[in-house]
Amino acid sequence: MNKIPESLNEALQYLKEGTYDVLAGGTDIMLKNRGYAEAPVPFKKNMLYIFNLDELRYIATHDEHIAIGAVTSYASMLRHPDVPDILKRSIRQIAGPALRHVATLAGNIGNASPSADGVLVLYLLDARIILASADGEREVPIEDVITGPGKHTIRPEEMIKEIRLPRRTFSNTFFKKVGARKADAISKTSLAGAARLHDNVVEELRIAIGAVNVTVVRDRSIEASFKGLTLEDLKARVDEVAAAYDSLIRPIDDQRSNARYRKQVSFNLIEAFIRQL
Amino acid sequence: MKNISKSIDKVDAHEKIAGETAYISDIKREDMVYAMTLRSPVASGTIRNITLPTLPEGYAAVGPEDIPGRNLVTMIYEDWPVFPEKRVNYIGEPLMLLLGPDKERLASLLDAVEVDIEEDTPVLDYSHSGVHLHYEKGDSDKAFADADRIIEETYTTGYQEQAYIEPQGFVGYIEDETYTVIGSIQCPYYVHEAVKVTLDETDENVRVLQAPVGGAFGGKEEFPSVMATQLAVALKKIKRPIKMIYEREEDMVSTTKRHPSKTTIRAAVKDGRITGMTSHIGIDGGAYIGLSEVVLSRGMLAATNAYTIEHLDVDGDVYLTNTVPNGAFRGFGAPQMIYAIEMFMHHAAKELGEDPFSFRKAHMVKQGDWTSTGGKFRDPILLDEMIEKAADISDYHKKRKAYEDENVYKGIGMSWFFHGCGFTGSGEQHIIKSRVEVEKDAQDTVYIHVAAVDMGQGPKTTLRKIVADVLDLPIERVIFDYPDTHRVPDSGPTVASRTAMIVGGLLARAAKTLKETWREGEAQKVEKRYQQPDYVEWDGECMKGDAYPAYSWGVNVVEVEVDKHTYEIDVKDVYSVYDLGKAIDERIVLGQADGGQAQGVAYGYLEVMSRENGRLKQTNMTDYIIPTAMDMPKTDNHLIDNPYPYGPYGAKGGGELTLVGGAPAVAQAIEQAVGRRVRDIPATPEYLMELIHNG
Repeated sequence: MNKIPESLNEALQYLKEGTYDVLAGGTDIMLKNRGYAEAPVPFKKNMLYIFNLDELRYIATHDEHIAIGAVTSYASMLRHPDVPDILKRSIRQIAGPALRHVATLAGNIGNASPSADGVLVLYLLDARIILASADGEREVPIEDVITGPGKHTIRPEEMIKEIRLPRRTFSNTFFKKVGARKADAISKTSLAGAARLHDNVVEELRIAIGAVNVTVVRDRSIEASFKGLTLEDLKARVDEVAAAYDSLIRPIDDQRSNARYRKQVSFNLIEAFIRQL
Repeated sequence: MKNISKSIDKVDAHEKIAGETAYISDIKREDMVYAMTLRSPVASGTIRNITLPTLPEGYAAVGPEDIPGRNLVTMIYEDWPVFPEKRVNYIGEPLMLLLGPDKERLASLLDAVEVDIEEDTPVLDYSHSGVHLHYEKGDSDKAFADADRIIEETYTTGYQEQAYIEPQGFVGYIEDETYTVIGSIQCPYYVHEAVKVTLDETDENVRVLQAPVGGAFGGKEEFPSVMATQLAVALKKIKRPIKMIYEREEDMVSTTKRHPSKTTIRAAVKDGRITGMTSHIGIDGGAYIGLSEVVLSRGMLAATNAYTIEHLDVDGDVYLTNTVPNGAFRGFGAPQMIYAIEMFMHHAAKELGEDPFSFRKAHMVKQGDWTSTGGKFRDPILLDEMIEKAADISDYHKKRKAYEDENVYKGIGMSWFFHGCGFTGSGEQHIIKSRVEVEKDAQDTVYIHVAAVDMGQGPKTTLRKIVADVLDLPIERVIFDYPDTHRVPDSGPTVASRTAMIVGGLLARAAKTLKETWREGEAQKVEKRYQQPDYVEWDGECMKGDAYPAYSWGVNVVEVEVDKHTYEIDVKDVYSVYDLGKAIDERIVLGQADGGQAQGVAYGYLEVMSRENGRLKQTNMTDYIIPTAMDMPKTDNHLIDNPYPYGPYGAKGGGELTLVGGAPAVAQAIEQAVGRRVRDIPATPEYLMELIHNG
């Protein structure tokens, strides 16, 4: 039986007692379960519809982080002053306005696509995901939640309750989504970058690349190896930065683009990010 | 006198915006069952056996053995079976229908069918010609022998999917012993004829009704005949109302598209001018010829586009491949050829070290010139004025110069082109034989009886406007219902940019006669039949003479910027000038311009459909990319009046004209932006990366 719980506790109780797919906005799961016109949606599992759990519809600003409830729509995130600008830039390129009124970041995580534009920025921002079950909650870094295309470590009795974005300030951020058109397009590749500079010295460098591996690519050891350089040194070594990611950028040929293009453009975007610092 | 071009609200705008229009998928009949199609999983093979699961009560299967009449769908060339009996020729080919009241049940029954096909090697290249056409003018051998330079280039174009909003669909039922089908179609009488022949029934026992059409673009010209014949066979067998609507993916893999093409143009150059040209255009027909010969012919007739070349030799082939049959799509062969010749003229100038704009203008066609087939351009050609206007509003010359700088990733391109209006040659006279009726009842309400279909392009409004204006009546007093073959004569298919010019022209004549014989409060009816203008002379066998009674003309200017990191193409501006005689409604024509340009420009850079081993790779609207409002800039479009004496109020054709020049204009802009020659479209970022890195 499908369920439409009226509270988070009720939802968690269902998850404890049965097996469900959780539907927030439904914009991915409906496509995965395409059926026929004039016939019911052929869901493969029982559905837990959480879209009217208002207690999970919030954006809260705390000292250390911004908390985003699981059923918060992209549209409302765009309107909130404390949602980081780089996340807003990515959201503006997700689908179209109509879809952004129902789609959620939590759903984007649960869908676990390496080309998801919202998730890319979560990697960049060191987001942590609150997974709730009837027995309690745990806080997991985004890269430990998503393990591969469509694969994640969320347990059957758990659901995403909240996304936490640590509050950090950067001197410079970069976001570029490469889709086949300007709206309503799935990324061929995408890159988000952030840097913190102090007295012309690179204190922190972050790079996240989407759609070029089984998960979003983020490598802290590569990032660390360029810390402490002056900006001029970093720019002079831009080819080295790109080369460091060579083995991690392993895209595929598919109906949307090809591996050669994805790889070349990823290198170009790393370079573009570094050069604009 | 009133200006007919002054826009009025489209008569169906309100009901469509309000969501009140009942499209085919909204129609239900009592005791109705659904039809689902069993499709070939292989590109080429011989059916050994099809084993059905046990069908529950109320479910049925329909296949080739149920066809009462001929197992070939009636269309221009007849090689397309209703259901194949032995050979299967493409992935997705319909093998049989399953029918029943519950869709989920039907789907699981469909999954349980065992199809045993002996697979063989599919033909997927341009090696099997199914149709060869040829024509010539002058003495091209001599031109090449005398040439001081020969230039040759080859161009390819990809598939294009019509991407109508509403997929193909029909509802069929038997009423008063009449096989009735209502569908999302462009050509009620094509469907009527095809169903009649397949069922071996009389004209009277088959009735075809047009449902409101949610977009067609040529995709609902011949394909609906295939679907309707299958539905009709099922109707005759099970005698219950049937609904058959394709899902989007099913529609995309199994219905006709624009033919991919490969065109080679060779020019003989003497003293800096092209004196002779040989061209070969090959189009991929897919598994059956269907309309492909006519598509090829229209492409070949555009071999020199709006240029006059004295000596000409043009060949063309429809190649048969084990892929979904290709067919009608707005432009009908012309977009492929006009793309090739526009790029060729541009590139030839570069080869010769001449300014492309001046070089092209020096070859441009003028009133009184011979056409490619030795017919005559009789009517005034205003291209000079149109090009000047387009250059002026777009600041073309200044930008063209500025963007030559190789550090500037911007480009601007200009195409000019014609489109032949109506059916090719004497087709209107000998094949279509259009008839229209204008009737009035005793209350003096006037009825338009034609089979013309409004698929968004506006004849529900424009044809009423014409009749109302001639009769000097308010438009509310002129009724034009959706065509019904039991009530309206065959005014021909809604294709080939012919509706306003041909059907509208006949209606204007009928209305004039009615006005002259008007008797207040009395029922009257006037019929008019098409009469070819005396000057048209066409030899179809040799492709000689006047290929079209009239030509519309256009100029497109497209400006782009290419991202140097991602090679993405940003279309910044589109400017156009069109001569389609006289607009019957200016806003409707400008709407056609916006849509046609979006489709034409996107054909050049955006819309990718490819295949692997006979299987299409882009089969839904997520993967098949058409432009959104974000991708298309605001356009600056202008119309120039150049009334055609035989068209109503001077109107010529407009529907296809606005598409055919988009691809070369955007491709020229792109090649300027990246400083490389574009030969293949769509010119995608992936293609540009290869051009930039490999020259």
